[in-house]
Amino acid sequence: MSEAPDLSEAEAFAAEHALGVLSAAERRAAELRMAQEPDFAALVEAWRERLAPMADQLAPVAPPYGVWAAVSKALPANDNTAGRALRFWRGATAASLSLAAAGVAAAIFVGARPPAVVQPPQPGQLLDASLVSQSGAPVPLFVAAYDPVRKALIVTSLVTANTDPAHVHELWVIPSDGKPRPLGIIKPGTTQAMPMPEKYLPSLAEGSALAVSLEPPGGSPKVDAPTGPITAVGKLAKI
Amino acid sequence: MAAATTPDALSALMSRVATGERAALRQLYEATSAKLFAVCLRILSDREEAEDVLQEVYVTIWRRADRFDAGRASVMTWVSTIARNRSIDRLRARGPLAYADQVEELEIPDGQVGAEALLEAKGERGRLNNCLSELDDRTAKVIRTAFFEGVTYEALARRMDTPLGTVKSWVRRGLAKLKGCLER
Repeated sequence: MSEAPDLSEAEAFAAEHALGVLSAAERRAAELRMAQEPDFAALVEAWRERLAPMADQLAPVAPPYGVWAAVSKALPANDNTAGRALRFWRGATAASLSLAAAGVAAAIFVGARPPAVVQPPQPGQLLDASLVSQSGAPVPLFVAAYDPVRKALIVTSLVTANTDPAHVHELWVIPSDGKPRPLGIIKPGTTQAMPMPEKYLPSLAEGSALAVSLEPPGGSPKVDAPTGPITAVGKLAKI
Repeated sequence: MAAATTPDALSALMSRVATGERAALRQLYEATSAKLFAVCLRILSDREEAEDVLQEVYVTIWRRADRFDAGRASVMTWVSTIARNRSIDRLRARGPLAYADQVEELEIPDGQVGAEALLEAKGERGRLNNCLSELDDRTAKVIRTAFFEGVTYEALARRMDTPLGTVKSWVRRGLAKLKGCLER
């Protein structure tokens, strides 16, 4: 074979991630980098496509029936409804519609759908969510767990600290009505327990979306809506 | 096995899954689960754990179906990537040296399967295999092992009784050549 030029450092790392040889810590670093750098994410995706045909060599093995039964049981009811409402809401924000209009529109949008089979909030229900990046491949940037006993959301930021001192990460919950409620500021690279105000407890239900927006220091100037871009989104699900 | 196995049919299924249609997920499962189970099984080499991961994989597909972008990846690559990532994450949880000792029965297919695939000529699989077969045997084998078993450089180095840096440079050189060959 003729000599090929060496891969750039970024591409070599992307290829190694696609191949699957990286250690646990390196894998996390690669995934974060994919979330932060669309060019790097594209390199990884291109390598996944290049290597994918190798998997065709594996002889298929039919899984036992029990696996489908378990999948079917584990599917959150109408899981995607909250996602659609959220996307709509984000679109509305981007178009600079007034918040009231966005809220009403989102409510109508949700209302026009068949009744959502979202489970009612159950006291004592532990919930968790993985908030994944909104550009490039879905990579977790924050993980959150709701502890109903402490009435607190335990949030871990996987974002490297001190990379963007001009902005803060503000956390929002968007329940099935599509209206965002502010939950507080997440410090990059830390785990913190955020006590939840009583009035927001009903919002912390299975199927509600958690979203993080990029805001000026101190948080969104508006109390009921993010003003910056949404960097990560996830849905609360039973643990 | 469902009929929906062409790329277009799978793509159409994915958009129905994205709208929350369970029947579509069921069809996608029927069309792809044997392939994905093979992927999980090969990496984890533990049936029970592979079944567990496979379940997570389809729940993940259900949750993320709305992110699937047909313009950026094929359905098979997208779902296989989820299966590989989940399995590798599970494997890493066992430690960096998981499977540093080769499991004999898991010997990966090498030249023989490659030769069969060559006969299929053309097609993406044929091209990749052609290019793999142009690498020296040791490099091709280490790349295949890494892909199929999802083991770390560290485990590969231990297995081959070779310094980690050397294994790493074999793989990197091999991948660069592979890319050059695929672009020819």
